Amino acid sequence: MIVTYNWLKQYMDLSDVAPEYLAEKITDGGHEVESWHYQAVGSNLVIGKVLTCVPHPDSDHLHICTVDTGEDVRQIVCGAPNVAAGQKVIVALPGCKLPEGEIKSGMVRGQQSDGMICALFELGVDKHYLTEEQLSGIEVLPEDAEVGNKEVLKYLGLDDVIYDVSLTPNRADCYSMWAFAKDVGAILGKKVTLPDYRYNTELQKADLTVRSETDKCPYFYGKVINHVEIKPSPLWMQQALNAAGVKAINNVVDISNYVMLETGQPLHFYNLAKIPAREITVKTGLNEMYTALDGVQYHVSEDDIMITTQGKAIGYAGIMGGDDSKIDDETTGIIIEAALFNLVSIRNTSRRLDLFTEAATRFAKGIDPLAAEKAVERSTQLLIELANASGIEETVICGDPGYLERKIETTAEQINTLLGTEFTDSQIYGVFESLDFQPKSAGRKITVSVPSYRSNDVKVWQDLSEEVIRILGYGNIVSTLPKMPTTQGALARDGAEKRTIRAMLNGYGLDEVMTYSLVSQAKIDEGVLSIGEPVRIANAISEDRRYFRTSLLPSLMDVVSYNQARNREEYGLFEIADVYSDDGRQASHLSAALSSATTSSKWQKISENNDFYTLKGIVLSLLDKLGYENSRIGFRVPEKENEVLHPNKSAEILLDRSVIGIMGVSHPLYNRKYDVDTCNLLELDLSAVLERKKGKIRFTTVNRYPSINYDLALVVREEVSGADIVNTVKKAAGSLLKNVEIFDVYRGASIEEGCKSVAVSVVYQSAEKTLKESDIADIHAEVLRQLSGKLGAKLRD
Amino acid sequence: MAVNWEELKRQFEEKIACADSLNAIEQVRIDLLGKKGQISALMGQMKDVPNELKKEFGMAVNTLKQSTEKMLGEKVEQLKAAAIAQQLKNESIDITLPERTRHYGTLHPLTIVQQKLEDIFMEMGYEVWEGPEVELDFYNFERANIPADHPSRDMQDTFYVDVTRLLRTQTTAIQMRVLEAKASDLPIKVVCPGKVYRKDDDDATHSHQFIQMEGLVVGENITLGDLKGSLELIARSMFGRERQIRLRQSYFPFTEPSLEIDVSCHICGGKGCPTCKNTGWIEILGAGMVHPHVLEMAGIDSAKYSGFAFGVGIERVAMLKYGIDDIRNFYTDNISFLETYKRFE
Repeated sequence: MIVTYNWLKQYMDLSDVAPEYLAEKITDGGHEVESWHYQAVGSNLVIGKVLTCVPHPDSDHLHICTVDTGEDVRQIVCGAPNVAAGQKVIVALPGCKLPEGEIKSGMVRGQQSDGMICALFELGVDKHYLTEEQLSGIEVLPEDAEVGNKEVLKYLGLDDVIYDVSLTPNRADCYSMWAFAKDVGAILGKKVTLPDYRYNTELQKADLTVRSETDKCPYFYGKVINHVEIKPSPLWMQQALNAAGVKAINNVVDISNYVMLETGQPLHFYNLAKIPAREITVKTGLNEMYTALDGVQYHVSEDDIMITTQGKAIGYAGIMGGDDSKIDDETTGIIIEAALFNLVSIRNTSRRLDLFTEAATRFAKGIDPLAAEKAVERSTQLLIELANASGIEETVICGDPGYLERKIETTAEQINTLLGTEFTDSQIYGVFESLDFQPKSAGRKITVSVPSYRSNDVKVWQDLSEEVIRILGYGNIVSTLPKMPTTQGALARDGAEKRTIRAMLNGYGLDEVMTYSLVSQAKIDEGVLSIGEPVRIANAISEDRRYFRTSLLPSLMDVVSYNQARNREEYGLFEIADVYSDDGRQASHLSAALSSATTSSKWQKISENNDFYTLKGIVLSLLDKLGYENSRIGFRVPEKENEVLHPNKSAEILLDRSVIGIMGVSHPLYNRKYDVDTCNLLELDLSAVLERKKGKIRFTTVNRYPSINYDLALVVREEVSGADIVNTVKKAAGSLLKNVEIFDVYRGASIEEGCKSVAVSVVYQSAEKTLKESDIADIHAEVLRQLSGKLGAKLRD
Repeated sequence: MAVNWEELKRQFEEKIACADSLNAIEQVRIDLLGKKGQISALMGQMKDVPNELKKEFGMAVNTLKQSTEKMLGEKVEQLKAAAIAQQLKNESIDITLPERTRHYGTLHPLTIVQQKLEDIFMEMGYEVWEGPEVELDFYNFERANIPADHPSRDMQDTFYVDVTRLLRTQTTAIQMRVLEAKASDLPIKVVCPGKVYRKDDDDATHSHQFIQMEGLVVGENITLGDLKGSLELIARSMFGRERQIRLRQSYFPFTEPSLEIDVSCHICGGKGCPTCKNTGWIEILGAGMVHPHVLEMAGIDSAKYSGFAFGVGIERVAMLKYGIDDIRNFYTDNISFLETYKRFE
């Protein structure tokens, strides 16, 4: 929202308020001034007259001019193509500071030059508001410009200060300069006087029909003005509009814009001649092409609110009028429109057409329900004054703003209690008065009447407390702490476990990463531990971010790939994040990737090979740490092959026999897809893990008796797994078994083809006594018998 | 037969002294003290010594033997010590060569900031609550006093799944769930961290995904002063004891009054620097008193109870704290970037 110093100055005395101070106060009052600047700059300017102008002898475009500045006649070299003798021009004297730098006397191609003849853009005027002509040459002032006048910027109406204010959504009322001025007045403690827009003209009976066939237009004010005279608007209005960022066009169009800025009510003026039926109907459901007054053809969709006459579209309601009925130099009569259109509908249409006009912005933010009436009256007054308006008909109103003034009751105590302040009744009363809330007090009670333009925002007494504190200042708040019963802090569900996992993986050398939750269809398809059908984003930014991910590994692969492309061949990475399914399930997952080697010393050539078993070790110790002892964990070959993991070097991870994760060595084709080397991958469903009962820490007496150790060298067929051997020993040995462990696996010349040698260490121990060989002879014989019987294991010679 | 004992001792001494290795000294020992050594030979001569001199001769041999043994023992010790010294010398290493790396991993910088904040709040008695990222419009907007036609829906471009579901745009959604769950179990003192999503194009300062943390306190007689005091403590825990805070008017649909909280710049101490854009203040928190409608919608009597809420962006805090200039760094996960944050701080 653009606000200008001169505009505000019309309504209140700002003689003791510097532009910079005004910016600070507006911000303090709750309207953040994002930036502010002088409309034009130039300290040492004067209006001069070009006496002579001849071509520079050594240049094909420069001119040598003599210029009368009132005090002297000086020579200035000028490069503008349009400079000519007799012109009144803007002269920057030496020492003048312009945006491009300081003007100095000097020689230009051998000719003395004591100043510069200026174009407007050279004074810092936004090029957006200048014509082609003004952009390509110096500014030529009117004949009657007074030579020697040093108040050049004031003369040009370019002495304004422009503030770019960021309005919060609740303060859409401030899109009205009048409402904004009221607020600034309250902030500064100044009396605000708004223009009196009464006029004294006999109105004709209305000859206009206005209808709304949609509930998206609750009210519509129409007014016919049979005669207007099109001409340029007065300089003050052009300057005010320019400063506010609106291009001046002609008196009638300028009035519609000016009044919109004043009241916040978007207006549209139609060329009366183009609506011969004198009938306007607001409707939806049209489906046609339509040319707006920007000359662009738009396709009207059935949800768009359209202004029509005789069934033909003449305007996008609240956004932009039609080309056909626009005000032009030939216009002699107009119809004024001031209405309310549904803000959601306007917002949607604006967005679809990518057409964010001043009017659409105001409608989309909400407008003062009484502004339509004010705007129609103010326009009429200005049309009479500036466009010789006559044949003015009565206003035709369809629908009703349905506005009821809101009264809110409060007390100083109530407000002070919420704010933690000690403001007096009269301070609080004063705030309401300054804001035009018309406070009335009865005893301790204060009743306010909310002005119509604040009715969308101020609804309950708590809203009044905000008015009080923002006007009196947040500096009045004293810091305290809540007086309430002591509460105990706690982490979120599974929060402590997740912290433990992170710390442990960090200890193993893995770095934590974070990746985006939204992924492509391809990434969804890669999931090896997918929670289910993905949540699909209806209005995704791109297909790359179409779905909420259902598993984490595919995202981690991007990180591996990114880093490997930057010569990070060794890494350990993990991520903990939540995944969701379309049917409403949610789970925390853990993904991890570990490169195939970890070098600890290059010059000593010490490097650990990371493989399936490295990751398996990490998984088991992690689960053990979390309370799930290794005896509850199982690994089995995945039932289905996938494109991610090596089919013969991967496993599903089971906890209490249900699947909680998947791990393995990356598939060669998957490596190629991401352009990475073989790595080790893991994805765990942490939620599935953590919902299982955790083992408790329990004291057991330390065993004092020595153990007996047997090493067995078994020859078994290849298909017999390590787990088969260990489980068979466990079952056969019974309670005296302390430990069973595979310590060597060997294949080679001395072993039969299709077989392998597995060395197993079996340890027996009793909690009650020192075992003798004879105590376990039978048990050990049974172990050997079962190994032979169940697994066909032979003792190696 | 006369033996020059002194001369013999001197000769022995010389032999021992000349031995320069343990092998050599062993040979000397054999030569002198061995069964066929010189001492044994002298003993053998005993039989030829006249009786009256035998005692004297025997004592002299014995003395020579003892002194020889002593000298040999000392020499052996000396040579052993020299051998150890030599061994140690031979074993010397270049201690400046690189170590065998013990790599330890790092937490993600956003996790570091989030955990630190969680810890600060937990010490102050706040419970941490989380909630779903795929959220209902109801909790994200409706309950937060943002009905369908509310203009502030424009402020947050939302990823919609269907008419009822969306990706939460604010952790306010979690607060709304907490309010509902604890409406009959007051007071409430929680912080709600979590990922949120906005339909933004990613650039140096915008990310379609980021992490927020919001706090909510509801009880009897909670005031705006309590909010200011609480946030002051938090700002100081995060950015140092000397920090001041400043309250500015703002707008959120779910709070009234609504505030922006600026913290005095931790880089320049408020004098003005590029980090604070020469203002001395850094905008860091949004906050306010919980809107009575929000309390009422959750079934809490707004005449009896009041509360405050505040929210902070984890990325913003991390960027300020560590001087990170591009938000995309957090999600690109360049390992060199991540490992900057591995040290304890």
